[in-house]
Amino acid sequence: MRRMIDLHAWVGVASGLALFVAFFAGAINVFHHELHHWQEPHFAEQSATPMGMDRLLEQVTEQYPDARKRLYLLPDDEDPGVMWLESSKDDWVTAHATDFNAQGVHEDAPRSALADFINELHFALGIPNPGWPINIGMTFMGLISVMYGVALFSGLLIHWPKLRKEFFALKHEGNMRRYWKNLHNVIGIISFPFHLIMSVTGAAMGMFTVVALLLGALVFGPQLRGVITEQTEVWSAVESQGNSVIMPRMDDVLSAARNELPELTVDWLEIRGYGDAAGWIDVAGSVPGYVGHHAHVVLDPTLGPLRVIAPGQRSLNFASLSPVYSLHFGDYGGLLVKLLYFVLGLLGSLLFVSGNILWCERRSDRTGPGRSSAFLLRLTLGICAGVVIGIAFSFLASKLLPHTPLAGLVAMAERGVFALILVLLVVWSLRASPLRFSSQMLRIAPFCYLAIPLLQAVLEGSHAWLEADNRLVNLLLLAVAASLWVVRRQFRKRIRQAEPHPLWVGKVSEGDPKHLADTEREADAAASHSAR
Amino acid sequence: MRYFLGVLLSLPLSLMLIGLVAAVLPMPWHGWLVLQLIAAIVLWMLLALLVALPAKTWPPLIALLVGNLAAWLALQATPLYGVGA
Repeated sequence: MRRMIDLHAWVGVASGLALFVAFFAGAINVFHHELHHWQEPHFAEQSATPMGMDRLLEQVTEQYPDARKRLYLLPDDEDPGVMWLESSKDDWVTAHATDFNAQGVHEDAPRSALADFINELHFALGIPNPGWPINIGMTFMGLISVMYGVALFSGLLIHWPKLRKEFFALKHEGNMRRYWKNLHNVIGIISFPFHLIMSVTGAAMGMFTVVALLLGALVFGPQLRGVITEQTEVWSAVESQGNSVIMPRMDDVLSAARNELPELTVDWLEIRGYGDAAGWIDVAGSVPGYVGHHAHVVLDPTLGPLRVIAPGQRSLNFASLSPVYSLHFGDYGGLLVKLLYFVLGLLGSLLFVSGNILWCERRSDRTGPGRSSAFLLRLTLGICAGVVIGIAFSFLASKLLPHTPLAGLVAMAERGVFALILVLLVVWSLRASPLRFSSQMLRIAPFCYLAIPLLQAVLEGSHAWLEADNRLVNLLLLAVAASLWVVRRQFRKRIRQAEPHPLWVGKVSEGDPKHLADTEREADAAASHSAR
Repeated sequence: MRYFLGVLLSLPLSLMLIGLVAAVLPMPWHGWLVLQLIAAIVLWMLLALLVALPAKTWPPLIALLVGNLAAWLALQATPLYGVGA
């Protein structure tokens, strides 16, 4: 049991801070699609009606030949978008219909990239990928997910014998540490299935490249690469014969896809070989009512069906890959499941903070006051406060800047302000008293999240609550503000009711335990009294 | 150090064990690749957990090394590498 606790603590501490970032950003990222709509600025005088999907595709493929090889079309009645791999930039480029002027020329209009930034924070801690074959941030998070899985299994073994007792044990019994411990245990037990899903699916997605490389090297040999492509691609690569074709209208493509799969709700289209007779179109979306809901209808340019992949009509590989994604993203059960994921994500953040705090206090109790536990406690508080408040400021920058002359810097500012606040708060946390720092951060943080919907209402008026996606995101931000307020209230209550651990109150180092708890002061006083 | 080495050495062993299962099962290995990936990840987590159980540090790590070697040798006796597709 002792070794299980040690293992649980080791993997928990090693992965806790990264998991906090992933879970807090991930809770917001559950509403990634809605956030994409929220981040678009709304001006009182809107420009003329943007072009439709067909004209957008014509303009993009004319102006950017790379897009003809492979592009993704994001259907939207108001502002459809196209995404393609631009060889000159060696990066994916997104263009929306509203980015084209009246002459049909693409103007590189600055856009908010908040939703993508939150997504990157979630799956790669915001570590940029410089185009390497292995995405470092994502692989790192995959490894973190494996350690998180080990922590979960060891946590289950530790708590299994006293599971029922701990389920109802959120009390402090005059001891701040007991409160953190019980909070950690209760959240861990209640949300264990959710965390198990997140760790396995997160590790499967994050470690995919590494596992595939090792499987190839150790087990299946060089043939594996081709087999993976064959088993996971919806259709084979285009082998052009040089014959061109007039592309069908996208409305007809969508009708043809629905003809093949009537229950399909379309999310995006992939077009390979635009204008090439050997090309194909993959209409991708969902069939509601299934956990593994992903579906594809692959059509040739004459709208002849090539392949249908849907629940009940797919290989075992597709049937097992689809739930990996949907269970991770929580997009299989409508708004209710997404809200559940949001709540569990926020609770998960609390799980990792409480785990780290527990470790620091336990280590300090075991080995005496030491710099390492004091440092980790301060670092934990600094990173957590930095991430929470930094994300709020990214939201504020995303809403504010498009209405100022600095609109062109919006995407950079969203990332810049986050990094700046994170660094500042980590530096501050390393110098300040943890108790005072936490109190101050918990006082500021709810107001930061409260300010975001208010700012949008001031800048964009009723658009902030009349448009469904805006309303939803703003309500979620208010929910985050309320959650932080509850954490603050609980934190203050505990301070009033129980003496905090000495680690929380100022300098704690060898030979310099300046701040003693009441019990320690009483013990010292009793000792000196008896000596006299 | 023990936990770190445990996590590191458990990965190839879990992959090779899943490979051995793929060689034994009477179905084409490429038909259930995604399940192999998920099973390997879960097995990796469980192996890393098992390494922490014994009281002494080195025996479980040596067992992992020996296990890796044995699994690799056993894989050489299967037709998987390069000819299974």
